[in-house]
Amino acid sequence: MKNKALKTLSVMLPLLLLSAVAWADAATEEGGSNPYFYDDFLAWSLVALAGTVVVAALVALFYLLNVMVKVNQIRIYQEMGIEAYQEAVTEKGPSFWERMYKKWTDAVPVEKEQDVMLDHNYDGIKELDNSLPPWWVAMFYLSIGFAVVYMTYYHFTDAGMSSAEEYELEMEQAEKAVQAYLATQANLIDETNVTPLVDETALAAGQTIYNNNCAACHGMLGEGGVGPNMTDKYWIHGGDIKDIFATVKYGVPEKGMISWKAQLSAADMHKVSSYILTLQGTDPPNAKEPQGELYEPQADNGGSEAPATDTTATTATDEEALGMNK
Amino acid sequence: MAQVEQFKYDNAIVRKFAYATLVFGAVGILVGLLAALQLVFPALNFSTAETTYGRIRPLHTNAAIFAFVGNGIFMGVYYSLQRLLKTNMYSKFLNEFHFWGWQAIILSAAITLPLGLTSSHEYAELEWPIDIAIALVWVAFGVNMFGTILKRRENHLYVAIWFYIATWVTVTVLHIGNNLEIPVSMWKSYPVFAGVQDALIQWWYGHNAVAFFLTTPYLGLMYYFLPKAANRPVYSYKLSIIHFWALIFIYIWAGPHHLLYTSLPDWAQSLGTVFSIMLIAPSWGGMLNGLLTLRGAWDRVRQDPVLKFMVVAVTAYGMSTFEGPMLSIKSVNAISHFTDWTIGHVHIGTLGWNGFLTFGVLYWLIPQMFKTKLYSQKLANAHFWIGTLGILFYAIPLYWAGWTQSLMWKQFTPDGFLQYGNFLETVTQIVPMYALRALGGTLYVGGYFIMLYNIIKTIRAGSFQAYESAEAPARVATAGAHKGEYWHRWIERRPVQLLIGATIAILIGGMVEIFPMVMIGDQVPKIESVKPYTALELQGRDIYIREGCVGCHTQMVRPFRSETERYGPYSKSGEFIYDRPFLWGSKRTGPDLHRLGNKYPDSWHYNHMLDPESMSPGSIMPPYPWLIEDDLDNSLLPAKISVLRTLGTPYPEGYEEEAIADAQAQAEEIAASLRKDGIEGENLEGKEITALIAYLQRLGTDIKPKPQAGNE
Repeated sequence: MKNKALKTLSVMLPLLLLSAVAWADAATEEGGSNPYFYDDFLAWSLVALAGTVVVAALVALFYLLNVMVKVNQIRIYQEMGIEAYQEAVTEKGPSFWERMYKKWTDAVPVEKEQDVMLDHNYDGIKELDNSLPPWWVAMFYLSIGFAVVYMTYYHFTDAGMSSAEEYELEMEQAEKAVQAYLATQANLIDETNVTPLVDETALAAGQTIYNNNCAACHGMLGEGGVGPNMTDKYWIHGGDIKDIFATVKYGVPEKGMISWKAQLSAADMHKVSSYILTLQGTDPPNAKEPQGELYEPQADNGGSEAPATDTTATTATDEEALGMNK
Repeated sequence: MAQVEQFKYDNAIVRKFAYATLVFGAVGILVGLLAALQLVFPALNFSTAETTYGRIRPLHTNAAIFAFVGNGIFMGVYYSLQRLLKTNMYSKFLNEFHFWGWQAIILSAAITLPLGLTSSHEYAELEWPIDIAIALVWVAFGVNMFGTILKRRENHLYVAIWFYIATWVTVTVLHIGNNLEIPVSMWKSYPVFAGVQDALIQWWYGHNAVAFFLTTPYLGLMYYFLPKAANRPVYSYKLSIIHFWALIFIYIWAGPHHLLYTSLPDWAQSLGTVFSIMLIAPSWGGMLNGLLTLRGAWDRVRQDPVLKFMVVAVTAYGMSTFEGPMLSIKSVNAISHFTDWTIGHVHIGTLGWNGFLTFGVLYWLIPQMFKTKLYSQKLANAHFWIGTLGILFYAIPLYWAGWTQSLMWKQFTPDGFLQYGNFLETVTQIVPMYALRALGGTLYVGGYFIMLYNIIKTIRAGSFQAYESAEAPARVATAGAHKGEYWHRWIERRPVQLLIGATIAILIGGMVEIFPMVMIGDQVPKIESVKPYTALELQGRDIYIREGCVGCHTQMVRPFRSETERYGPYSKSGEFIYDRPFLWGSKRTGPDLHRLGNKYPDSWHYNHMLDPESMSPGSIMPPYPWLIEDDLDNSLLPAKISVLRTLGTPYPEGYEEEAIADAQAQAEEIAASLRKDGIEGENLEGKEITALIAYLQRLGTDIKPKPQAGNE
């Protein structure tokens, strides 16, 4: 009876695993991202959770079954008398687990170790002649089998992908996923339609982006450094939000300003461009001298709310600015 | 019946190695602790070249591996070899030569590594004169060991000695193979092989330094000291045989698992993966034979600190030899590689297996040799628990950090951008984990000093016997096979055959992997646009090597979307053909630099090297002010060009004479660009920084980046 239940269990478990894998595959396809499992961490966690629950349920069932069998046996022995019970007990050998343990370890017990003691003696160290543990041998053979299958799969058949092919596939799938996502997004922002953001969360996000990416060259406060000062009213490539957005997006590679379109999303470039505009007139310490042309915001685009309070830094000529700014 | 002979075991040499082990263990872990703290508090780099992380890290690894574990091996071998063979050592002169030679090598390493004299091959950083010294001393050790084996009184060699023999021959082969280099001067050389070939040979060495310096000799020690301390018979003689031969044969193949998803050809990567998987069973064979030998002695394990240390050591060995193969599976490696996970993994091995086994041996051996009892069992137990806690506090935060950082590197937003486009964000995120790791290291160091105290007290209380009397019957040389003996007994009587057998076993894997890579040209597809470094770039590259930049920065963009989006096109093997040595690195504490060229203006690099925080606020990179102060020394340039041409770099004939002028011309261009950006400073063109900038701006620019799709 016990063995039957075990057999059932041994059939059920692989089936369960198969279904779990199929489920995870389905999840991967839906997510459509890439072949690595960590991207579908949630899906796999769910599979693992479900698997655990099912296994726990099976164990509970198995236990219940066992109890019922025992109860039944007690009833039978009660009817048949103590002799039948004693007979059954003496017939009964070691339990399934004991037999399994014995079979897979094949160790001579400590009490009987003199039977397998070899005549070796190295500075008092003796050696026993225990067999190789069968589970260990099985593991070794399995790993060798794995090696043969792996090499065949990847190198002696066309089945496995090379690293380069895996990469192509990953890029293709990512491209599809991104396009699918973008299709659901309305009205993408670009340099033709951008307007300054004013709400505080967006500007705070813009500040974080600025600090992480721009501050290295333009200063933590926009005072300038390797790159020009962002707080004055002089701009080399235009001070309108649209111009700033375009400068961030495409960069000015010949002058060392890199293009950010591969690293920042349109929404992020929007936020950081808007944040840069808020730096106008903040007059930080150690500000770099003005460069480029004076730009006065137009009333209709609301580019710079800050009134022009700083009039001291308006002496730079275009010639100087060009000279200073590589 | 052979006549019983009287002789004396030489304990004096064992004591010397034991003291060296104790001293260099302290040095190794203290330097390690400094390195760990530098990652949390960059100020601890002290803005001085000699104490900066890039030079401290190799000092730590070399001290831990070759000074601490190395002396530990010799201590155990010199003690056990004499007793297992029932004879004294072959030559007192070689004992002394070996001991003092090894300590002199350690001393020269401790001087040259902080000076930045390095070949940059991990765990083989020492420059060529020291390499030759190592070879000499190692051969002396071999002669001494074999001389002892040949004059033995014991007919058969015990399993520990098989491991010692395999260790000796393999380390010889590895050391020579990975240090084939042509000297430029006394303290500068270039390796014979370049790029991907150099990488393969380095990791054939690097992986097997772990295998045959940190593992096989320690298995030998385990096979002697564990049954001695437990007073139990070894569990299975058959298991010893199978796991010994399987281990040494398979281990040597596994090196390429350090190069998964790099520019190494896929077939070699796959061999690295499958042989790593096949290593689980042979490695566990050692663990099983160790743990099962303790059957019937587990009650004593609870009380005896010696056995406690040994049990944790063997268990740590089993854990890390299971974890290693798992990390060699490509999809796991895609996450773990270049992160701190690897650092956590190796420290389970070194702190747990090597450290704890050494401690167990010391706690057993010192009272033996000093004819006394351990001063305090209580303190030894305290050491055990503090040390164990230290290992946990070391490894778990690093596993956490590795996972976290890797997931951050790979995280994309739905519109196709890297969630953490700024690499620094992924570093600052794990700095608290670095702090916890340093705490773990502190605990481990604390436990170590408790041991030092305990052992000094024991030594003071005991009386040392330099030469211990023993007796054994002479070996009957004719004693041959007896009926029904196990087949392996045959080779156990024949040390030379055993040596040859082991040599064949360890040569096969290396030959199958390395020969095709080196001999067959099309294994590294040529790229037309890849040109040799200019004179100044070469100088900059040697500064990069000297400063140990490779300790934190890789130059290997792997073929993953998350890497090509962050860094640029993935690295091709043809790009590295002039890279002597290769600088792919093994850990990204900072970003990959292979596509760094032209990414930032020259002035950015200048400011960044002077004060990294000025360009990257929150950066934990140390400052390098001396690069800006020190004049570039071009005197070796002609010799460098000439050596590189000999090795195959196609510099035109006569470029030696033009090299210095060429370097100066390029330096002037860079100085001009720096001045344009407002950087003042006298003689900018003559400073080391210009050479470094030249190199950094060249990196990865030989092939034109393809326009990237999918970023609109």
